[in-house]
Amino acid sequence: MKKDLYDHITAYIVENQNKFYRLAYSYVQNREDALDAVQNAVCKALEHYGKIRNEDAIKTWFYRILVNESLLLLKAKSRISLEDENTEEASYEEKGFEVQDDLYDCINRLDEDTQTIIKLRFFEEMPLKEISQVMEMNLNTVKARLYRGLQQLKVNIQEVEQ
Amino acid sequence: MNNPMEKAKKKYDETEIPDELAERIQMEIKRQDSKRRKAVFWNLGFRRGLAAAAAAVVLFTIGLNTSTVFAETVGNLPVIGAVARVLTFCSYETEDEDLKISVEIPSIEMISEDFSDLEKSVNEEILRLCEQYAQEARTRAEEYRKAFLDTGGTEEEWAAHNIEIRVWYEVKSQTENYLSLAIIGAENWNNANNQIRYYNFDLKKGTLATLADVLGENYKQIADDAIRSQMEERKADGAVYFDDFEGINEDTPFYINESGNPVIVFEAYEIAPGSEGQQEFEIKS
Repeated sequence: MKKDLYDHITAYIVENQNKFYRLAYSYVQNREDALDAVQNAVCKALEHYGKIRNEDAIKTWFYRILVNESLLLLKAKSRISLEDENTEEASYEEKGFEVQDDLYDCINRLDEDTQTIIKLRFFEEMPLKEISQVMEMNLNTVKARLYRGLQQLKVNIQEVEQ
Repeated sequence: MNNPMEKAKKKYDETEIPDELAERIQMEIKRQDSKRRKAVFWNLGFRRGLAAAAAAVVLFTIGLNTSTVFAETVGNLPVIGAVARVLTFCSYETEDEDLKISVEIPSIEMISEDFSDLEKSVNEEILRLCEQYAQEARTRAEEYRKAFLDTGGTEEEWAAHNIEIRVWYEVKSQTENYLSLAIIGAENWNNANNQIRYYNFDLKKGTLATLADVLGENYKQIADDAIRSQMEERKADGAVYFDDFEGINEDTPFYINESGNPVIVFEAYEIAPGSEGQQEFEIKS
């Protein structure tokens, strides 16, 4: 008998868990929150797997959930830590995007959508078409955001074209 | 490695993966699996053999369409306080080239002999309901297909629709007093045809519980007040409701949640624009 969708999803999750963790970590920047984000995403995905149309969509659908869960956690966190003295964050504003900064960290200072696009494109090496599905955005919008983000980061753009 | 993006990717790839990750994921999958099987093993082992035997008997008494892949799942039998249990009576999947149907039909088993009439009539009704929905959905899918092809669509484009019909059930709650069950039919191309039917069993009386049973004689007043005030709260948060909410009646669908409270359910479009989706109101007693 054909393996059903649910089994496909769990298999996909187990197989790619390290990738998910790395992506979640890139947003929340600490171990506990990254674990929570991945677990929450798995929970949501398995609860709502009925909404997915076919196997081919599992990847982009799961990434969408994962990115959302990571950003949710990040927002919840930043609300709490606003009160705390967060010198790192304060210095972001002044420094702007300087080339000598670690690019990994610079990416996190971009707006949410743009950083997600860049992470998916360069870290997860996802085709732009898939990114547009993850983001539920028009392909051209994704491209435009990507270029603008890279300009902000002062990264050479030539290699973006696949 | 001079390229800063390559360096960033390297840093990304070197993110240390904690051992805990695999455990957490397994844990979550297990948790969802058991939820999915609706198996709360309150009284595991008790009368398990009997249940299996009973399930086997019902399976034999019903002939199933031989063209379907038939999967019996008597392996996971939730036993609910040893009073009643829900088991997957039958489940099957068919997949033609362009139409996938999956059906999972529950059946209720009351342990007490006194409740056998209720058990029988409810199970017959559930079976009828599920098969009827699957049949009607199939007809709708065929009509849709014809209309699509007649208006210039191609077979390939149609196949890309991935038309799917599902009928399944969820146990909403299992308490000492009630067993609450939802039976859901859904078509993936048209949410407006989705159907949910709730069954709330009063396990003490051996009847189907009504809102009056749960909330008392004044149930309409109590529920209407609670719903109206929750609507106001949600409106304040930006929700939209139609202005003509007329209150509930004895047939308004509801289920009973884990806290034992009734939750009144309005389907999409019923009291609010479709974009607001299904609306649920817990009536706290």
